Amino acid sequence: MRHRLTIGIAGAGGDGVVMLGSLLQRLAASRGYFGQMPRYYGPQIRGGASGVKLSLDTARASVPGDTLDIMVCFNWEKYAELEQELPLGTDTVVFYDSAAPKESISLPEKSFQVGFSEISNELTGTTSAKNIVALGLLERILALPESLSKGAVVEDEASALLERNGLALNAGKRLLLEFPFPDLKLSPSQDASAKVVLHGNSAIVQAAIRTGCRTFFGYPITPASEIMEEMQERLGQGNGVFLQAEDEIAAVGMALGASLTGAKSMTATTGPGLDLMTEMMGLASGAEIPVVIVDVQRCGPATGIPSKSEQSDINHAIYGGHGDAPRVVIAPYNLEGCYRLLIESFNISEYYQIPVILLSDQRLGQTTVATNSNMLEADYAIVERKRPGREYRAQYRRYEITDDYISPMALAGDEGTVYQFTGLAHNERGRPSFDFATNQRMHEKRWQKLAPLRDRDEFVKVCGKEEARKGIVSFGSSAQFVLETVEYLGLQDEVKVCIPELIHPLPRRLTSFVDSLERLLVVEMSYSAQLHRYLRSQIDLPSDTESYARAGGMAFSRKELSGPITKLAR
Amino acid sequence: MSEANNYRTEVTPVWCPGCGNFALLNALTRTVLPNLGIPNHRALIVSGIGCSSRIPGYIDTYGFNSLHGRAVVIAQGAKLANSELTVVAIGGDGDFFSIGAGHLPHAVRRNVNVTCIMVNNFVYALTKGQTSPTTPYLQRGEGPFLSLQFYPPVDPVLDMVSYSVSTRASFIAQGIATDPSHLAWLIEEAIKHKGFSFLNVLTPCVTFDPPWLFKTIKEKATYLKEGEPVGLPDSSAEQPWPHDSSNITLALKLAQSPVLERPHIGIIFRGKES
Repeated sequence: MRHRLTIGIAGAGGDGVVMLGSLLQRLAASRGYFGQMPRYYGPQIRGGASGVKLSLDTARASVPGDTLDIMVCFNWEKYAELEQELPLGTDTVVFYDSAAPKESISLPEKSFQVGFSEISNELTGTTSAKNIVALGLLERILALPESLSKGAVVEDEASALLERNGLALNAGKRLLLEFPFPDLKLSPSQDASAKVVLHGNSAIVQAAIRTGCRTFFGYPITPASEIMEEMQERLGQGNGVFLQAEDEIAAVGMALGASLTGAKSMTATTGPGLDLMTEMMGLASGAEIPVVIVDVQRCGPATGIPSKSEQSDINHAIYGGHGDAPRVVIAPYNLEGCYRLLIESFNISEYYQIPVILLSDQRLGQTTVATNSNMLEADYAIVERKRPGREYRAQYRRYEITDDYISPMALAGDEGTVYQFTGLAHNERGRPSFDFATNQRMHEKRWQKLAPLRDRDEFVKVCGKEEARKGIVSFGSSAQFVLETVEYLGLQDEVKVCIPELIHPLPRRLTSFVDSLERLLVVEMSYSAQLHRYLRSQIDLPSDTESYARAGGMAFSRKELSGPITKLAR
Repeated sequence: MSEANNYRTEVTPVWCPGCGNFALLNALTRTVLPNLGIPNHRALIVSGIGCSSRIPGYIDTYGFNSLHGRAVVIAQGAKLANSELTVVAIGGDGDFFSIGAGHLPHAVRRNVNVTCIMVNNFVYALTKGQTSPTTPYLQRGEGPFLSLQFYPPVDPVLDMVSYSVSTRASFIAQGIATDPSHLAWLIEEAIKHKGFSFLNVLTPCVTFDPPWLFKTIKEKATYLKEGEPVGLPDSSAEQPWPHDSSNITLALKLAQSPVLERPHIGIIFRGKES
């Protein structure tokens, strides 16, 4: 009996790899199992390599293991493209379809040709149910409860598919007689309640709806498109304003236009789109217009690797654009963070009247996670924009310098508070003003208003023992690998980990964390070590500081991070 | 606080004396907004960057002097979020037909109820006299067209009116800044049109255009009147082309008349409302 298993599935696009992974994850989730399923795909539109790596866990949504416990392969040629993501170990149990692999791939001892396609063909007349045959086999090997498929009420295409392919599913289940692997059974989940399954992009959408965002403007781009597509589903049919713009400049421009009228508005993109949005970020900062921009980071520069994760947009998010344009940068490191921090992004954006960039990444955005639904059910404070009360209206000054530097914002359409927004330097009334003193004062206002954010300790997660003198700072999806590796190495008592969720402005809590250390390691997926350089620019780091930074293109693994973390602990 | 019938702010315009933008400002604040009875707080004027884009600061309604080329984008977002607002996007030829040209066909196909006023002065004036996409084309050697340009413009003009016809904007009109009352009427019609309306305003730049340019346009301008023959070479008493603003074929013919030979002033096309 196992508490945690990692299952890899590989094939060509059209083999039903993602469908098989999703069905297995959701069936297991309906019986209480946690897990994560990152997906790997290539640049081809159709027929390219397609793979998933699924963890099933009885206690928490852990990162899948480095090597696989079980591998299902429909196509060895395509597997070769995914080998770095789905490495086989000597103990991996492999089930493969009709063709044997070429010599370049050495199979572990327990490898079996199963003929999923053949069975599917015999039963249904086509090979397209081969993934369902494989599902039947996996269900039995893992010993998922019998009533499972019936218990999983998923009202969508996937459940309909299962319904139609009952024969194939049962045929797969019967295969267990040929392949009994009692040591691959999963123990019952510690918490048998059904788990929700969603990816980071979807969590962002659900949070946006939760917080009252009803205007969304986007432009298709991998790996952020799911946000736009799901917002379209939610806001279509007259539930709000959804528009696919002609480009990212227009998308964020329309979001600003909507925000002038008081709408909580948002857009989502990745690096190349953020490039185009940069001029509007400056405008929103200078004219103090709330807007939330989600950046699901991928490998750059330029087109880079659209389908793979990286963390190299920090510089752009914090500093992108000309002039001194303050903005807030927030970065979730797990699924729960995608949900909670999107709500916080709106809260901060609306309260401080500033663009907020939520830095997600492809790994977070497109990995489906099975976890408990606490984050969806928790209470969250929803902060609204400060608007002028009646007493202001006689002599309304849009950019009035108040004690906290936040000026109540009248909305286009409000009676009695007419004013003009402008990207020009302006005075308190919003009139264009080109004198130095006013310009200086307005810069002070826009920067100083953010000062309270530096005291928001809750945006810095610290794991480990307070007295530890060795520590790691990491952020985004990489932080999950850091936490897993520290635990894997059993170094929780010696090494503490700090994960900033608020990146800019940098919370003071980070300073106190770093000050408590003799030795620091900064882990990130950016070749030029953007996080490390940013931290150095903001706080005094210990003289004994190491940076572990590399380009994106492959997820971190426990094995990879064991090196630098062991060195840190020595 | 403003009086219901006073739509000017106290801000003094930065424009040169004699600039066509004053005509637009007066048309909007003295005629259009009062005639349509739009309360100050129910209008939003979004502009780009350029001489004409300074206009929101002078009009006591909600306004946004935004970024170069992006007025029509911000305007659509605002209108979609609050349909009770009358939203007008104002910019120059550089705004709408150079840096922001990519946004226009999409605004047209969406047909969001926004009025787009392009103040066409044929030149980049705020930056002191560079050629714009609408600067008249000259053969090399004809001598400099613009006072401060060493090289004359040699690329063909981008014809914005033809462009808006070919993309089938649902309301297309051309006005002239030297006739502010007619211009005001056109803007009112454009605002009343429920859909995307495009209004090209021929405007002299008194500083950087040569004086003959606007003199020629003014002299040759002809007004379009519904049912009356249009001033096209193939329209005559024997073979009349009466003006019919619902006829897209005629609209294309009108739009293709070179502005220096036959500027048609009036409603060129009025199509489906959104």
